[in-house]
Amino acid sequence: MTSLEERLVTGRPAETTRTTLASSTAFLRRVLLSENFVLYLSITYFIILSIFIPSLAEPRNLSNQLSNVWPLLAVAVGQTFVLIIAGIDLSQGSIMAVTSVVGGIIMTSAVDPLLFENSPIWGTLLHENGGLLAGHNLAVPIAVIAMLLVGALVGGLNGIAITRFDMPPFMVTLVSLIFFSAFAIYLTQSQNISNLPDSFLQLGEGDIVSVYFGEKAEPEIKRRDILPLVSYPLVISVGLAVAGQFILRRTVFGRYIYAIGTNRKAAQISGVPTQRVITLVYMFSGVCAAVASILYSARLQGGRPTTGGGNLLLDIIGATVIGGTSLAGGKGKVSWTFFGVVFFVLLLNTLNSMGLSAFHIDAVKGIIILVAALLDVTRTRLLARERLA
Amino acid sequence: MKKYSRITAIVLVLSIAASMLVFGAASAQDSGRICFAFQDVSTEFWVASHMAIIGTLEDQGFEVVQLNGGQDANRQLEQIRDCIAQGVDGIILIAQDGESGTTIISEAQEADVPIATFNRPPADTSAGIVVVADNRSVARQAVEFMAQKAIGRFEATGERINPLILVGDLADPNAVQRRAGFMDVIEKYPDIFNEPVEIATEWNSDVALASLEAAVTANPDIDFIFTSSDFLFPTIRSVLEAHDMWIPAGQQGHVILGGLDGDATACQLIKDGYVDATGVQDLYYEAELTLDGILTAIEQGDTQPNAVLQDPGFALTAGNIDFQEMDSWGCVLLADGFLDQ
Repeated sequence: MTSLEERLVTGRPAETTRTTLASSTAFLRRVLLSENFVLYLSITYFIILSIFIPSLAEPRNLSNQLSNVWPLLAVAVGQTFVLIIAGIDLSQGSIMAVTSVVGGIIMTSAVDPLLFENSPIWGTLLHENGGLLAGHNLAVPIAVIAMLLVGALVGGLNGIAITRFDMPPFMVTLVSLIFFSAFAIYLTQSQNISNLPDSFLQLGEGDIVSVYFGEKAEPEIKRRDILPLVSYPLVISVGLAVAGQFILRRTVFGRYIYAIGTNRKAAQISGVPTQRVITLVYMFSGVCAAVASILYSARLQGGRPTTGGGNLLLDIIGATVIGGTSLAGGKGKVSWTFFGVVFFVLLLNTLNSMGLSAFHIDAVKGIIILVAALLDVTRTRLLARERLA
Repeated sequence: MKKYSRITAIVLVLSIAASMLVFGAASAQDSGRICFAFQDVSTEFWVASHMAIIGTLEDQGFEVVQLNGGQDANRQLEQIRDCIAQGVDGIILIAQDGESGTTIISEAQEADVPIATFNRPPADTSAGIVVVADNRSVARQAVEFMAQKAIGRFEATGERINPLILVGDLADPNAVQRRAGFMDVIEKYPDIFNEPVEIATEWNSDVALASLEAAVTANPDIDFIFTSSDFLFPTIRSVLEAHDMWIPAGQQGHVILGGLDGDATACQLIKDGYVDATGVQDLYYEAELTLDGILTAIEQGDTQPNAVLQDPGFALTAGNIDFQEMDSWGCVLLADGFLDQ
């Protein structure tokens, strides 16, 4: 096409068209190569689907999506640390189960004997009148501390097994997953511990700042129309994420973590206390799982031995890796994990609203994750080529 | 460059495929939008319930948002929240367990969305439309028939009967009630029965298989087995066959066998003489109660309907199958060739 023909077709000079095309390509390239790519992908996905499903963009749904982000983010922050040191923590789900049960045993105010009389802790830690500290003013803080300590303990055991006995993280955490899941079920004989104190339940649902959109047409605004803007799960998870980001980016310990993930031997030779750092990273992962367990147990109003089960582990690792953290270690950020979690929650939310058959939802989910992964592969290759150039 | 073009092409093709699947399936209908959240579709009872509920709603012009919780209570809670946020007209729930059912019903009612639970009741039955079989009574009827056979055997041999029960997940009130119905009958005849062996299955056939195998090995004189759900009959069969105990009624060594649900497998096994009785939940009646309840609430603008609607059920036995066969949903499915599919 000559310049004249091009001008006739587009109504613009050929030079302008070329400039527009070049700037669009440059923009797309910048987006594709940006480290915030998953965030842009999520925003694009959200905008496109909002056209077809308008309820997606309604304040109530946005608030709902965010409420699902916080517990997953808490546990994924721990997984991010572990992946950066080139490890993996499969035991997070089982840590959530054990800590949920431990919290329930301490706090519950009443227990049904029919359900628990076969439990090995019946009559010692659990009674008809509740758990160890039933009705005590300090029951909730002590239970929360105990849950965090148990998380740290199990994580520490993983770390010690990996560093002292030089066992592969996959095997160690797989064994922990099996053992502690079974232990949680054994303790409760597969029963859920209900009747937890209201102040604990607030941690999973409570709003600190709420908002209402629209006119005040009636004297009393209905509870369903009041949306949480700042909630306890938000404060807890964002606090944990900010602390994680700070540790990784601003502390010597954070540098050690990246150094170990990039090359453990080289880090060791350079004087990095690798054994201590790895153990502490697994302990942190356990604590993050315990924090998520607090949030999940509170929202489901019970200490449940199945907390963290199902597909949650795949969601945790999937969100972290989709966010950009490398399975090979040495690369990752908490902010990337946040983007990955947002993408996962958005994906589930949209799939739930599409009216798909239950038999198709997981297939579509798989296809979309595959598309995201292929885009990420393209992006990584382009980045590598650019670096070489 | 060629490589990237190929990747881009694959990405595009997959995106188009996903879009077609997504938007092809999401066709809005006129009557309204109902969210149907269930915990799994792994047994005959749940498959048949799923088909009955979805089919009826779609026939009436409703758009049905189907959500499979995958036996994960937290996932189910998030799915229900998604439904509420998207403004569905009503929710039909098969909860993962009684406690999570209570939490979910309270979320829905707080958001003014009418909710009905099908077959698996919440721990607190005071909220929502609760459709449930009278599990204790149904279990009692089935076990009573088995007990009469046991009494006949005791009178002939003078040997006490050794019962075993496969208990469901006790976090599910249905499992608790079925166990209670079984115990009612066992305790009614203290001279006939020894202390029953209880096997926890957690509604999981793998767990049931391992535990039953261990129990039968340790107690080879077990001669009376009641399963809290018929979906475990294939598991029981595999264990009993391995111990040469899978013997039809009328022959030496027959284990008196019963269950609850009334599925197609149980119906076939009663006809074959291996199973003596099963408590039947009237699946179609329960589906009808659930749909009537939720649709009436939507029609009347009742956002917090509360009612307990009970299916009385009955026992299908070797004694009445000839004339009550077609009252059982499992036998109806069997006649339609369900087990051949």
